[in-house]
Amino acid sequence: MKGPTGGTASAVAGRWVNHRRQAEPTGKNGMNLPLIDVIWRVRGQLPLDAPMAADEAFARLDPLFQTPGTTYGINDDTLTYTKRNPAAQDRLATFTRGSLQIDQSAQGTVLRYDLSSTALLLCLLAPLLFLAFAQLAVAANAWEKSGAEASETARQDQDKPKAVGKLNPIDAFLGAPAPADLNKRNDKNQKDGRHSPKPGYVLAGLFFVIYLVGRWLEPWLIRRQFRAALSSALPVEQSYTKVR
Amino acid sequence: MAAVQVGKRMIGADAPVTVGWDNIGRVEGGPIKQFIFTYFQPAVLFGLILFWYYAPNAIAVASTGLMIGLGFKALLLILEWVNPRYDSWRLTWKEFATDVFYVGLGYTILRMVDSYIGDGAMIEAVQGALDWDKFAWFTGLPLLLQALLISMMFDFGQYWMHRGMHNWHPLWLVHAPHHYITQLNVNKGAVGNPVELFLIGLGIGGFFDFLPRAFLLAGVFGMAVSTYQHINVRFNTPAWWRFVFNTTEHHSVHHSQDYEATRSNYAGTWIIWDRIFGTCIDGEAERLGMEGGRRMDIRETMVFPFVEGYKSAKAALAKRVGRSASSAPQLEPAE
Repeated sequence: MKGPTGGTASAVAGRWVNHRRQAEPTGKNGMNLPLIDVIWRVRGQLPLDAPMAADEAFARLDPLFQTPGTTYGINDDTLTYTKRNPAAQDRLATFTRGSLQIDQSAQGTVLRYDLSSTALLLCLLAPLLFLAFAQLAVAANAWEKSGAEASETARQDQDKPKAVGKLNPIDAFLGAPAPADLNKRNDKNQKDGRHSPKPGYVLAGLFFVIYLVGRWLEPWLIRRQFRAALSSALPVEQSYTKVR
Repeated sequence: MAAVQVGKRMIGADAPVTVGWDNIGRVEGGPIKQFIFTYFQPAVLFGLILFWYYAPNAIAVASTGLMIGLGFKALLLILEWVNPRYDSWRLTWKEFATDVFYVGLGYTILRMVDSYIGDGAMIEAVQGALDWDKFAWFTGLPLLLQALLISMMFDFGQYWMHRGMHNWHPLWLVHAPHHYITQLNVNKGAVGNPVELFLIGLGIGGFFDFLPRAFLLAGVFGMAVSTYQHINVRFNTPAWWRFVFNTTEHHSVHHSQDYEATRSNYAGTWIIWDRIFGTCIDGEAERLGMEGGRRMDIRETMVFPFVEGYKSAKAALAKRVGRSASSAPQLEPAE
């Protein structure tokens, strides 16, 4: 039986790549919540076109793990990895923990993967934060309203007539609209309060949409990445690319 | 690494920086693509100026500006996808989600806090204390001149605040997280520690009780020029534009991994402030960030100024105490 092998990416020197510890497979010693972990976990299998030994498959996938912040280990037919704060262009940036297994069955060689994403989980929780901000805006409006009613001076300031601005002759000649009379302005925000909860609601919805897109897009992209790496002898490009 | 001397400074000693306009990349593609990506920036700027100049009062309001701003950013996201400056700056799902988080903070909690303790509260206080009839001479000026003055004065304030952030340690601590971005995208301007947003927002232009239309016109420069600071689109920017205005090229130099290069191009909109005060470096860079391109996550971004500030204060205190404890004269090396 072959002993465990592995390594730590050292492409870029710095304090953020020098943590070497054996990665643990997701689901074995990590959190195992089968009903809700579909939120942040992605499991799948990829049948390979031709039979391939585990060593060769992992060699082809190796560039994915030769990136800053990555720790990985190989034990027989299973590769486990963790990525600590991966770079923006790291192909596995969304999935920061996971295990890959090469399974030799009667049907041929199959790559089974079980990946975990903190980013997906946080993205689904983000709407709660922005809903809380929206409620904070509502509460601040209510608090200000009670304060404004008590303050007589504030009301007097508002009642003071404001001078109507004049347009410069050059602007009048060029046809710019005359300035609005601020005394006739019907300011809806004054009634509803100056803090709008609307951005909070919009952002909560936006993050839910971003989550749904990510939950579909990221598994599709990583599957495509695995397929490309395993069907090509060339390493996956991680370097800086040509200048356009 | 080959460095280029600019004034008294050596640029590009730590990381590659292209200095000057001669070797800057150009838009690749057919004549239609060339035309679009050559005239897009001036067309948008002049189009928006015309819009805000002639829009009826009912339309010329801040909420219209907000909607145009959001639509413009969506358009720029499409341009980033169609014609990226660098493939290594391609927007990923995770980067986009992270950027939207920071943008979201700006539209919600930070806006609220700002109205109490930030420039919102300060403007209110100053407007209440001064006799604004004395500024009728300003509000009677032609609209475009008002807009120009407001924009340039605000940017003047931002220039010096930004330059201060790069030269005084306590201010640098709040600005540093923004310099950990490793690629430029439309929303990257919002990425950073929230404390920074209060400081960078404290320009002096806001103290004028200007006509709303002049303010909206001034905002055009912010939207149609300053937005390009953080963007991954290749343009054939006209020479006159990059002489007057800040560009992606300038700002990529400011964000490069080269230390000396980061101490340049501080203006947000008007790069002529940098030209006047001797901090402008024309050029561009691809490799961005700090510590060799380490990406800073949201948690660290939020606590960085406080954690690093505590460490710095502790070290300074230890040094001072140590110095007073050993007050005996020390031997110094010979000249």
